[in-house]
Parts: sequence; structure tokens; C-alpha cells
Amino acid sequence: MVMGGFTRNFKPLNLLTAEQVEKITWGTLDILEHTGVRFESDRALDLFAEAGCAVDRDLMRVRFPPALVEKSLGHCPSSFHVKARDAKHHLRIGGNSVYFSNSEGMRAVDLDTWEARPATRKENADGLRILDALENVHFLATYTPYFEVEGIPSVMAIPESVAGKIRHSTKFQETGYQLGCEVFTIQMAQAVGIEIMGGCNPSSPLAYYGDAVECAFRFCEAGFPLHLASGVVMGGTGPATVAGALMSTNAELMAGVVLIQLIKPGTRLTVADCAYPMNMRSGSPAFGAIGVSLHHAAFNQLWRSYGVPVHNSCGFSSSKIIDFQCGYEKAIMAMIAALSGCHIVFLPGGIHAELIYHPVQSILDNDIAGMVGRFIEGVHVTEETLALNLIEQVGPIPGMFLDKGHTREWWMREQYVPKAADWLTYPEWIASGKKSALSYAADRMQDILATHEPVPLTAEQDRDLDRILEQARQHYEKQGML
Amino acid sequence: MSAIVLEGLKKAVLEYDADAAAGWATKAVEQALDPLEALDAMTVTIREVGDRFGRGELWLPDLVGAAAAMQAAMPVIEAEIQKQGKQRSSLGTVVAGTVFGDIHSIGISIVVALARAEGFTVVDLGVNVTAERFVQAVIQEEADLLAMSALLTTTAYEQKKVIDALTRQGLRDKVKVVVGGGAITDEFAESIGANGYAPTAPLAAELFRELLLS
Repeated sequence: MVMGGFTRNFKPLNLLTAEQVEKITWGTLDILEHTGVRFESDRALDLFAEAGCAVDRDLMRVRFPPALVEKSLGHCPSSFHVKARDAKHHLRIGGNSVYFSNSEGMRAVDLDTWEARPATRKENADGLRILDALENVHFLATYTPYFEVEGIPSVMAIPESVAGKIRHSTKFQETGYQLGCEVFTIQMAQAVGIEIMGGCNPSSPLAYYGDAVECAFRFCEAGFPLHLASGVVMGGTGPATVAGALMSTNAELMAGVVLIQLIKPGTRLTVADCAYPMNMRSGSPAFGAIGVSLHHAAFNQLWRSYGVPVHNSCGFSSSKIIDFQCGYEKAIMAMIAALSGCHIVFLPGGIHAELIYHPVQSILDNDIAGMVGRFIEGVHVTEETLALNLIEQVGPIPGMFLDKGHTREWWMREQYVPKAADWLTYPEWIASGKKSALSYAADRMQDILATHEPVPLTAEQDRDLDRILEQARQHYEKQGML
Repeated sequence: MSAIVLEGLKKAVLEYDADAAAGWATKAVEQALDPLEALDAMTVTIREVGDRFGRGELWLPDLVGAAAAMQAAMPVIEAEIQKQGKQRSSLGTVVAGTVFGDIHSIGISIVVALARAEGFTVVDLGVNVTAERFVQAVIQEEADLLAMSALLTTTAYEQKKVIDALTRQGLRDKVKVVVGGGAITDEFAESIGANGYAPTAPLAAELFRELLLS
């Protein structure tokens, strides 16, 4: 049973032939066996050596026997449940379920100047409240919504972000790691009786830093799920070709899968595809390029065959403002991700790169998620939806369907009506003051802020979060980072 | 004959051919060409590549390829310049690298390529560079500018360690410091006492020019 979210009711898009899947998979295993992956962690190197990998301690390079990789993939659950603060937001990730996660941004942006600036604490809390209210946001991303917030030093960004997400939303969340902060974020989750998803991300090409490895150990020990996100930049940190970049991405992720399944077999995990072609003018990732979707679709097909649930990063545009480019780039990425079997589509809220976020964008993207979600539910074909008897009953003109119970029963279920789009006729639009989707989204933001209050924590849970945050602050003070 | 060698050097840079560039550099020395003339031929060519990049006619892989080809010829040419006791002209000397604990190389490689195309002498220390090594290179190369990259939030603080080390050695006023990388912001750069922050490689090259030539 899918919990919340959407269900894909048809076969996913298969971009690759069976022969191409085989070539890419064999190539990936070849990279793992011969080129190897660098792990900057003695603890990980010990574990790999014990499991039969060839470990070069000087170069911190691990070469993996293909059988171990296959065995580790076999330990990954192809679908699993995760526990949110409110049972209605528990998720079953995998299978044919499709969820939408917000994307994030370092900074807030003013809609009149489009200049980015650090968010205030209130804006951060309001952004979370809005995500809590949006019906097509099922999952909260790592830094949500902002990761540069006034008054929060950067070493405290993740602990404060996790606490904020717990306080202002009852939805499930994933989180990141830096400087061992997962010690505190895991405690927060345990204090309020929820699960959070930790991260263990490779640094392309083909490397894992010690921080990522430590986070994997800590989340495995806590019994929490993990996500591994690879962000190959095609032509920069990976080959410029989609096929080559896929092998590089998959080799990085499979190495992480082996690590996690060696630490604790059966650990729930997802793999995330954050690959982008390089923008060969600036050297930055080309956000929103069609190459992103080519990579996603093939990635999803490959990992479906390995039996591991997937995320796709569809949240960022190359545009700096909420405009046509931002809309088409995000919509194309989201639709292709969902059609090709993505389980978690990372979409609402982000505007440019991972730098700018605005709640109005999250409201607009919530409608993209609704439309994509409706599409992948497919066409319901039953006696009732075929409505053969009704067609016969209505007959030719002057018959009509508008006054029929069947229409009242079905029209809304068959369509998705956007909450923040211009659906007016032309005269109504003139009378409305020529409102656009952007103004409807701004109105909806005000409505949500005026009416939506997330379920609060108990006073004891609230105190626990404060206590753990204080411990984190003291820890980083002692390290000289605050 | 010298015209053929100079043309060979130019062509090697324009065709991103590092082996050919190194070969023509050796020939230049064997045929007793003025090493400054050989260097000038390559500098003019790399600037042309840089200009074409600036006009949108060429792309980063072209620019980085041309810079790598020129760099392949440099050890032989530089050794000859030194041997003859000559002095090369330059817009200034830049020491560049990714900080300790960070092995990301692409961003800084693009910065190095662009700075060379602009006409700076660049000493590329590579990745995972300790504060001590940065300081040592600044002293040894009499650097005008130090450019550091840190992609990770965990390694961003290394940039502060380097700036503090420069201050302790009494070098801070003698060298401009520019920081960049995925984990860096304007505010962070200011908070650690850098002279500037560049969010992209092309802007870094512009900033070098602004800081050293204005």
C-alpha cells in the first residue's frame, strides 16, 4: 500500500535496451574492481579489507570484488517504511510509489529585486510551515528551506535545520552531515520518537571523505535509513557523455552501498542522482539542462534493475528568478523523473542552483507535483469510468454531461486543479486585475501563513531539542568553531 | 627556422596538444631561440584563446586544454630563461591551490587556466595544500596574490588558518588573498579577512586583475 504520495500505475519509461543496461552495469563493476574508490577513513578501509576488497592504504583506494557488490545490493530493501512525526506522513519508499521532496536554497530572495540575502529565522520557520501545509510535499530535504539563516553560525546550520523541521512540520525529513553534527541530529530524532534519513555522499570523482563515512556508521548504529547522493558534473568530475557519467555515478554509489551494507546488512537506503552537465562557460553545473533528465531516466532504469529506491534532483533551474525558464526546466525534469520510475522527486521551492529559495516557488512547484502526480496515476479504465451506459443515455446534441451525477462524482478525481494558476476566462482575468500564477501563489502563501499551524511538540520534546542544540553549541565552542 | 618553431608552439597551444608543445619547446632551446620570444609566442596565443573564450567562441574545455598545452612547454622554457639570467614579464605572480583536507581540483584548475590566459604567472600547488605549504610558496615565489579554493563546508575553515599563518609570518600586507569554492560566501570571505571572494572562475580572473592592477 502506498502511504500518501502518488502511485505510478503503468510501466516506467525504459530509455536503455537490455544490452545497454548490461554494458553500463559491467562497466560499473569494472571501475569498482580495477580503478577503485578512495575512502578517507581507516575505519572503512578496515571493514573493506575484512570483506575481501583489495585495499591500498597509502592511496586509501579500495577495489571491490564484483560478487561483494552484488551481494551488498541484494541486502538493500527494494521498498521500506519510514516514520514521520505524524502517522499520516509515514512513507513507504520504493515500489511504484512517487513522493515529492522540497528542494532547498542557501538564501532567501526578494521578489521585487531578485537579489539573494540570508533568510531571517522567521522566514525559515514560515517557509517550513508552508511546506508542512502543501499537500504535494511529502518529504523534507536536507537543508530546509534555507541554510544561511541570520544568527545561525554555519557549524550549527544542520542541527538548527533538523530542529526547525521537527518543530514546524510533522513530515519525514532527511538530513546532512558536517563536523560530526549527526551525533546531535540523531539524538533530536530519538527525543521526539521519529526517524530521520542520514546522508553519506561521495565526492566526485570516486571518493568519500571521512565525514560521510562517520555519518554512515552513526546512522546505521541508530538503525535509521540513509541516502547516498552522487553529483557528478559531466565533463568536469565525470565523463561528458551520459553513459560514462552513469558508470561513474553508479560506481560511487555502489561503493557506498557496500560500505553501508557491511556496517549493517539490510540497512534501508536510497540512492540519489544529482548529476549535471557542466556549463562550459562558467564551470558551474548546468542546472535544468536536458542532459540532467537523460541521466535521471537511465539512472532510474538501472537502479530499478538493482532493486534500490531512487531520488532525482529536479529542484534547480539556471534561471535566477521565478519565470518561464524556471518553470519549464523544473517541470520537464520532474515529469521525466516520475515517468522513469523515480521514487522521490526533489522539486518544490528551489529557484537557482542550490542558492535561492522562495516559498512562492514552493507553492507553484506544488502544482507541478500535483500535475505530474496525477499523470503518473494513469488512466482508470473500469465499467464506471468507461461510462458506456451514460453515453448511451445522453446521446447526441442536445444531450449533455454537465448535469449528471457521474460528472460530479468523477471530474475532480480525473483532473488536477492547480491551486495557484490562472484558470480564468479573459473577461474574468481583466476584472481580477490581470492576476498571474505568481500573484495567486503569493496570495496562497499569505493564506497558509494566516491559517496553518503545524501540530506542536510537547513542552518536554521542545525542551529536549533546546538542550541538544545547546550541547551542540558547547561542543563546537570547545572546538574553537564558535 | 625560428619562425617554424614559434609557429609550432602557437599551433600546439591552439590545438591543445601538450606533447607537441613540449616538443617544440625543446626544439626552441636546441636551436638557441630567445626563450622570452618563445614564451611570448605562447602568451600571445593563450591570450587569444582567452579572448575567444570571453567572446563566447570557445568553451572551458578549449581554454583548459590550451593552458595545459602551454604548461607542458613551460618547464623547458622557464629553465632556459633562468639559465640565461633573463626576466619574464608578467601581470603578477599568483599562488593557487585547494586547501588541506580537500581534494577537489576542477574549480582551481579553471582559475589557474584563466589567470594564465590573462597574463599572470601562476604557481599551481594542486590540492590538499597545508597552510605551511601555502605560506612557504608565497615567500619563495614572492607572490602578489594567493588564491585558495575549498569546496566543502568542513574545509572552508582551512582558508582562515592560511590567512592567520600569513599574518603570523608578517606577510599579510604583502599579498592579496582571494577565496572561492562551493562552501564560500562573501560574508565568510570577509569574516576570515580575505581581500576578495569570487563565486566563479571567470570572476576570479577578473578579481585578480582588479586587486593587482587597479
